Amino acid sequence: MRSVPSTMSRRGFLAAGGGLAAASALSGCSALAATDDDPGTLVVHSQLGTTAPGSPTYLSALDRFRMENPGLKVRNLVNGDDLAQVYETSRLARKEPDVVMVNLYDKTLAWTDVGATVDVKGYLDDWGLRKRVLPVALNAWTDGKGRVRAFPYFATNWPVAYNRALLDKAGVDRVPATGDELIAAAGKLRRKGIAPVTVGGNDWTGQKLLAQIIQTFLTEDEARHVYVTGDFGGRGARQGLEYFVELRDAGVFADKAQGLTSDSMTTQFNTQAAAMQSAMSSALAKVPAEVARHTDVGGWPLAPGTAHDKPTILRTYTLIGFWISPNGTKKIDAVEKFLRFMYRPDTVSRFIKEAGRDMALRSDTVSSDFPLVAAAQRLGGDVSQVLLPDLFVPPAATQPLITATSTSFTRGTSAAKVRSVLEAAYRGA
Amino acid sequence: MKSANHSRLGRSWLPAHILVWLYAVLLVVPLYYFVASAFKTNEEIFASPFALPSSFGLGNFGTAFHSADLGLAVVNSALVTVFSLVLTLALSIPAAFALARSTGRLASLVESVFSLGFLIPTFAALFPTFLLAAATGLFHTRTFMILFLPATAMPLSVVILVQFMRTVPREMEEAARMDGASTFAVLRHVYTPMCLPGIATVLLLNFLTFWNEYLYSLVIIGPDPAQRTVQVALPTLKSITGTDYGVLTAGTVLTLVPVWIVYTVLQKRMQQALVSGAVKM
Repeated sequence: MRSVPSTMSRRGFLAAGGGLAAASALSGCSALAATDDDPGTLVVHSQLGTTAPGSPTYLSALDRFRMENPGLKVRNLVNGDDLAQVYETSRLARKEPDVVMVNLYDKTLAWTDVGATVDVKGYLDDWGLRKRVLPVALNAWTDGKGRVRAFPYFATNWPVAYNRALLDKAGVDRVPATGDELIAAAGKLRRKGIAPVTVGGNDWTGQKLLAQIIQTFLTEDEARHVYVTGDFGGRGARQGLEYFVELRDAGVFADKAQGLTSDSMTTQFNTQAAAMQSAMSSALAKVPAEVARHTDVGGWPLAPGTAHDKPTILRTYTLIGFWISPNGTKKIDAVEKFLRFMYRPDTVSRFIKEAGRDMALRSDTVSSDFPLVAAAQRLGGDVSQVLLPDLFVPPAATQPLITATSTSFTRGTSAAKVRSVLEAAYRGA
Repeated sequence: MKSANHSRLGRSWLPAHILVWLYAVLLVVPLYYFVASAFKTNEEIFASPFALPSSFGLGNFGTAFHSADLGLAVVNSALVTVFSLVLTLALSIPAAFALARSTGRLASLVESVFSLGFLIPTFAALFPTFLLAAATGLFHTRTFMILFLPATAMPLSVVILVQFMRTVPREMEEAARMDGASTFAVLRHVYTPMCLPGIATVLLLNFLTFWNEYLYSLVIIGPDPAQRTVQVALPTLKSITGTDYGVLTAGTVLTLVPVWIVYTVLQKRMQQALVSGAVKM
């Protein structure tokens, strides 16, 4: 054991060195100091910043903002689907970011009510930005108590994309405008081995298309009532469900649609494995040029007795908006600079031109590099618009409704059963 | 005669060979799909998932690395993992040493308390942990995770190490004591070297757990690129409207490289330690 002391001291020395290195590494990386409270830094929490559509433009705009405001630091925090959960936890600890960029959907519907974010109506007026916002967008972001939940920014058209080349190949001479034409086209496409309508029956894309088809026989007020209450027992809603089931069982949707997701949907369309998809602008922007060249955008075909005079599309102005947190009100000057910059016409134009985004703000810019996005913007009065249910579905029913969607897209499920699972999604909420 | 025996033996081993190869295929096919996808576009992944990539360009890797700032995230993960492992060993080795040498009722009670740690579900501890982080002012720091992860690892680490330390013959300690060794010296020069297989096992298991930890890192450390771990950075490559799976899998491959390296190194060390431990005993 004589050698023990010398070994001890050598290794002890190494251990002490390691400890010092550890301590310096930790302090060097400011592990003990959370940087949330830095008054000179504007913290923005966003879903943009990696691969989401518009991210490169957003990051470039941030760089420009930093250049124009050298005294103001901006930190961009990025999350995907889990942004709302992360923000809410930060808010509970009173360490939330100053500005949040996220959709008005699901959990965020409750934020203004519970004080997680503040009413921005006063700021919108004080900063003179109200006139930049499309009135319809402002309306969508205003809650029942007249509070404006956030500064509107992104919007989207949600038309149906028809691959004309595939329709021609199958012998379908025009874009289907009625349910019967759609069923006939689906039969012809299937005989050529082409999937007719591809849809993510297992996620939100399926939920939106189902909602769109159910609204075939509903007026706007009736649709609002259905999605607020979850009562699908009215005549119009039942007819819509029967129309959906008729289309589904006639083979209109791609095989195993109940298991598909938005990713498989866009891939099937972009690789020309499927001829039609209901797609929002960001998906249309990703259609390859060789497919986009022979793709038309239009509405969803109607059935006899419909409440609409033209094929329907979805349109929403409640994609990413700028929410101000209680912490953000403490740095309101910095927030104002940031919002003014993001609302500037040149910044808005960049999102349209470079990223093919639809905006909830006034702009004359047209996205020339994204022909399908531009075509969807031009649809205007050629189509009838149905409600996007997101604003009316109670937050707790959102996810159960998406789960119920998968059952709805399963062949052989009766209209009564579809109604039952949709209503059950509300009961559990 | 020999060849007849050999052939009989060969035939009798045939089912085992088939099963082993089947098992190997089961492991290799997903790995191949995973690595091949990292070189493909979405269209190639969905249209022909098992085909070879049309090119072996590193574009997806570059995009993943830069978009999600994976370099910094790997450094953060390494910091959290290494310091947590050091703390885990610093706490669990003395604890296991004390429990292994004690024979009283109190010791067995304490050992049972450690074992009870297995019964706490991860989700159940999330909210109290969050409250603790907020109350201590360590919310949105890696330091809290460095303190918290060892706490979650203690039950398994102590239980494993206690079992290893109980195999050390009492005579070894008695001999050391006769040479004037203190209790710490006994732990340092008798128990620790003889329990290297257990320590390597604890290191390996905890490394995998700490490196792959997601939920607590997401909630406690948060999304700040300067602090977030690789498991929090990686999902930012997933987009609600159209994920590029080539980029996502490339990013995942990048984050797994440290795991493969550590696993390979520790696995060898663990085998070496097992052999040397056997000789010593």
